[in-house]
Amino acid sequence: MSAADAYHEEEALGKAYDARLMKRLLTYIRPYRKWVALAVVLLLITSSFQIALAFLTQVAIDDYITPGKLSGLFTMAMIYLGVIVVGFFASYAQLYITAWLGQKVQHDIRMQVFSHLQRLHLGYFDKNPVGRLVTRVTSDVNVLNEMFSSGVVTVIGDIFMLALIIGALLYYNWKLALITFIVVPLLVGATFLFRARVRDVYRLVRLKLARLNAFVQEHITGIKVVQLFVKEKRTFEQFDEINRDLRGAHFRSIYYYAVFFPTVEVIGALSLALLLYYGGFQIEAGLLTFGELVAFIQLVERFYRPIRDLSEKYNILQASMASSERIFRLLDTPPAFDGPKEDVATGEFKGRIEFENVWFAYNENEWVLKDVSFTVEPGEKVAIVGATGAGKTSLMSLLYRFYDYQKGSIRIDGVDIKNWPVDRLRSHLALVLQDVYLFSGDYAANVRLRNETITDDQVRTALSRVGFDRFLTEAPDGIHTRVRERGATLSTGQKQLLSFARSLAHNPDILILDEATSSVDTETELLIQSALDELLKGRTSIVIAHRLSTIEKADKIIVLHHGQLREMGKHHELLQQRGIYYRLYQMQYKKQAAPPTG
Amino acid sequence: MRQSTEKNRKTQGRFSTVTKYLKEYRGYLIAGAFCILATNALSMTIPYITKIVFDLLERHGSDSERLRWVLILFGLSILAGIFRFLMRRTVIWASRKIEYRLRGEIFGHLLKLSPSYYDTHRTGDIMVRLTNDLEAVRMMIGPGIMHISSTILTFIIAVIFMVNLSPTLTLYSLVPMIFVPLAVYRIGNLVHIRAMRIQDHFSELTATVQENIAGIRVVKAFRQEESETENFRDMSSRYLDLNMDMARLQATLNPLIMALAATLGLVVLYFGGRDVINHDIPLGTLVAFFAYLSMLFWPAIAFGWVVSLYQRGTASLDRINTVLRTEPEIRDNGKEAHRGKIKGKIEFRHLSFSYEDNLVLNDIDLTVEAGETIGLVGMTGSGKTTLVSLLARLYPSARGKLLIDGVDINDWELESLRNQIGFATQEPFLFSRNIAENVAFGAELTDPDEVSQAADTAALVKDIEMFPSGYETMLGERGITLSGGQKQRTAIARALLIDPAILVLDDATSSVDTETEDEINEKIKAVLSGRTAIVISHRVSSVKEADKIIYLENGRIVEMGNHDQLIAKDGRYAELYRAQLMAQELDKL
Repeated sequence: MSAADAYHEEEALGKAYDARLMKRLLTYIRPYRKWVALAVVLLLITSSFQIALAFLTQVAIDDYITPGKLSGLFTMAMIYLGVIVVGFFASYAQLYITAWLGQKVQHDIRMQVFSHLQRLHLGYFDKNPVGRLVTRVTSDVNVLNEMFSSGVVTVIGDIFMLALIIGALLYYNWKLALITFIVVPLLVGATFLFRARVRDVYRLVRLKLARLNAFVQEHITGIKVVQLFVKEKRTFEQFDEINRDLRGAHFRSIYYYAVFFPTVEVIGALSLALLLYYGGFQIEAGLLTFGELVAFIQLVERFYRPIRDLSEKYNILQASMASSERIFRLLDTPPAFDGPKEDVATGEFKGRIEFENVWFAYNENEWVLKDVSFTVEPGEKVAIVGATGAGKTSLMSLLYRFYDYQKGSIRIDGVDIKNWPVDRLRSHLALVLQDVYLFSGDYAANVRLRNETITDDQVRTALSRVGFDRFLTEAPDGIHTRVRERGATLSTGQKQLLSFARSLAHNPDILILDEATSSVDTETELLIQSALDELLKGRTSIVIAHRLSTIEKADKIIVLHHGQLREMGKHHELLQQRGIYYRLYQMQYKKQAAPPTG
Repeated sequence: MRQSTEKNRKTQGRFSTVTKYLKEYRGYLIAGAFCILATNALSMTIPYITKIVFDLLERHGSDSERLRWVLILFGLSILAGIFRFLMRRTVIWASRKIEYRLRGEIFGHLLKLSPSYYDTHRTGDIMVRLTNDLEAVRMMIGPGIMHISSTILTFIIAVIFMVNLSPTLTLYSLVPMIFVPLAVYRIGNLVHIRAMRIQDHFSELTATVQENIAGIRVVKAFRQEESETENFRDMSSRYLDLNMDMARLQATLNPLIMALAATLGLVVLYFGGRDVINHDIPLGTLVAFFAYLSMLFWPAIAFGWVVSLYQRGTASLDRINTVLRTEPEIRDNGKEAHRGKIKGKIEFRHLSFSYEDNLVLNDIDLTVEAGETIGLVGMTGSGKTTLVSLLARLYPSARGKLLIDGVDINDWELESLRNQIGFATQEPFLFSRNIAENVAFGAELTDPDEVSQAADTAALVKDIEMFPSGYETMLGERGITLSGGQKQRTAIARALLIDPAILVLDDATSSVDTETEDEINEKIKAVLSGRTAIVISHRVSSVKEADKIIYLENGRIVEMGNHDQLIAKDGRYAELYRAQLMAQELDKL
């Protein structure tokens, strides 16, 4: 087996049944156990009524048709009709409840997965691609639904039905019943043989399909390379080989199905033949009536259905085991951080920030921040500067508790942020990221997010304070103008302003801002400039600065270099030092100071 | 009016995609049709034989005669089984063959489509067409054909037998039977509509999760976890409600069919029973009727099911057709296409290029002599990558002209052109194969000597020696993950291995550390003789020694000359050079 097959095999296989997983899955139906019981009872009623129909046929033939009693036949017909009607409603109720159970459990698990995701820390999202997490919440949960809705209850029903039929057959005529049962080992044997084969071939098909999909996915993603190196022909040949493998696997599965279904039918015909032959002797001997023979034939036919469905149920079980394993792994990932040991910071929020000898690394021993210490007084405006990779963004993520630092201490109003409830800590902060993330919805929704306490008027005020109102007048639906996914139709500047308005509307005590580096035209630049002033007015702020104007206005500039705080002070002081800041200024900011040309 | 013609155009010749394969495999299909006929006809005799046995018993016939009939019954069922086996082996077999061919056709077509197609179509969407849609089409032509023919045949044969047994009883029992396909079809339609609604909502739900996770930083920063969860609860509850709408239908459909089946039994039992009492028919006929009814029932249900297979199949076929009918934007010009060895002279003549209404390149006028090395610098988004992409005709060229060796690029045979241009890019795409195969991707065969030579030039040998299996080390999700710099160097080796006449390095060493970069620059210089090279870089050190350096800004050439000339000019390039010198200095602090 090639390495590629071995890899995909892991994906395609997985256990068919795992008691531990099943036990945990079943805990999800516990809240609904009364409904499960009701569904089972209803299922028993429908099954019994189906058997009853065969019984009624027998009575009609033996007691009325053969002796020629027409009036009694009518009464029988009415009872028969009654059974049909009651059976219909019982069956409807049972199916409805079962479906509802499956959907309810699916909803519960989905909500649990989603809300757990909301509590996981950012490191988890760094490691797991978005697509994979989406699959957990969507497709994986859907797979479980099938198991709950068509699995649990129907299996109980099937077993009961089989028992009922066996009982009925024995009741009518145990000798004939035993003759009928002669074929059962044949049927069970054929089913087991088939199930084993189909399971193998099903795995093979999934394996080959996974390989094919991976190949196609990869080569569509890398189509440019394929075309640049003129490898279309060879790629197609490789594809064709995998495609042919898949076809071969399908051919094998066709073979097994093509053998299985006729085999079951022939076995059915065998039991019919036996019934007719031996039943004939019993009728001649007066031990069996015609009606009983007809009922026998009908019951034996019903006998085959649950057994035939077995292989399908097996596939559902296998798929749900694989999905539940992935879901449980996610649910078992511990959420972000433990709550604070003590409830603290009860006094009025002032916003004094202290970093004391903070060390931080994403991966062990690759220090991104080394021994950083500084203090931000309430109301101060601090600018952080440094080359790419100096650790500026990490510094801000720590303050937000997106990640936890390894050494040192970060305090707000004298209390370590690890002792703040995360929710309360963040309620005092607002973060403006460099690449603005917009949700699909409208302008208003992107400003207030889902905080319904922010009114439309407050949204409008925030938008006009950042100068977005000029775009509102052109917008077809004002603040309710549609925003496409990720703000696809908006310009960079517009997106910036919207995210400023978002922060303004949430009115934070401390503003943390990562200034965008992307170049915009002069007019937008001026707009952003004044919006920024509005945003920073009267607030404690920490800004990763790229604009000279922002830096010049700061009360304090912190210069980060290779993860260390190297210089700190005001603009002109730092320039005089002729150190790192001086060089950064020469490289990046000086040209912004030059008067605009043209 | 217009809408309907549009729809017509979309569905016109819809089936031509599959009919050509149906014709090709008609042998299988005709044999299959015969098997369907045979197996159904044989199965239908079984209730008739049951009737004969019952009649025998009523007449107190001999046991040996009964044995004979019972054996005939068993024999016929074996024969029916054999034909049923052959039916699947032919019809389903053919459908898998057609699936295989169609999948090949789609993928082959995808390989021909131009990069611009992939810029506007998501991979996930394309994958769905190759998987789900293809399966829906196969279901339509395999099981679909098999069940519809089986259904019709069973029905006809059963009715013939039944009329033969008792015309009046046939009439009575067929009346309720009419409701079965009607109910299946009507409810089936509703199922279809509600299924679409569920599917739409599920897409919305998926998009919500997608946005939530992609924007998790904003969600957390603004403490939206709770309200996001509440919003999602609404979405999920709505999904539950929609599913329950569907469940209500399905909870009606199955019991309804069962009830109709039972009603049929009732009708036959009552009217047939009356006939038996009146001695119009023997008891055996009644029993046989029961058997035929249960045989007819499945086809009646299947009919509705086949209708939905057809609906889904045609919708999917339309989606596949839109892929197959997309013409590749970039193709050879026909038989006059120019082939031959490229010497390497490149001329841009007042070339402008727009991408989705954005002017990316503006009046580029540039001549590169064969064997020259050109350095290309400028800000992100200034058009550097677009400029070199046009060389390999990844996009259709726009206004102006682009000549290679004096021949218009559109007149070159695509294969000949691309075979002689080696590309290494900033974010190279590598395949999940081993390193050697990745380096030799552009070659016909993997020659170890050539691979190690190319790896050496790209300064990759030391890294490879450290990998667990050397050149055989697997890359990608089922192997090791290379660092950005290692990926870039692998891509450089891949570009060098095809012995290109024109080598394009598109910021191909941006993630490589400066020391290694210097090593690569040294080694590449040695293999560059006789080749034209275009080097795009953010680092001045990589282009400093080029014969000509071009500074692009907003799609225009703003400065051109060698290093000394541009430094003397003291413009954009000189500024960039000084800034980088300072950055190097800063880094050492």
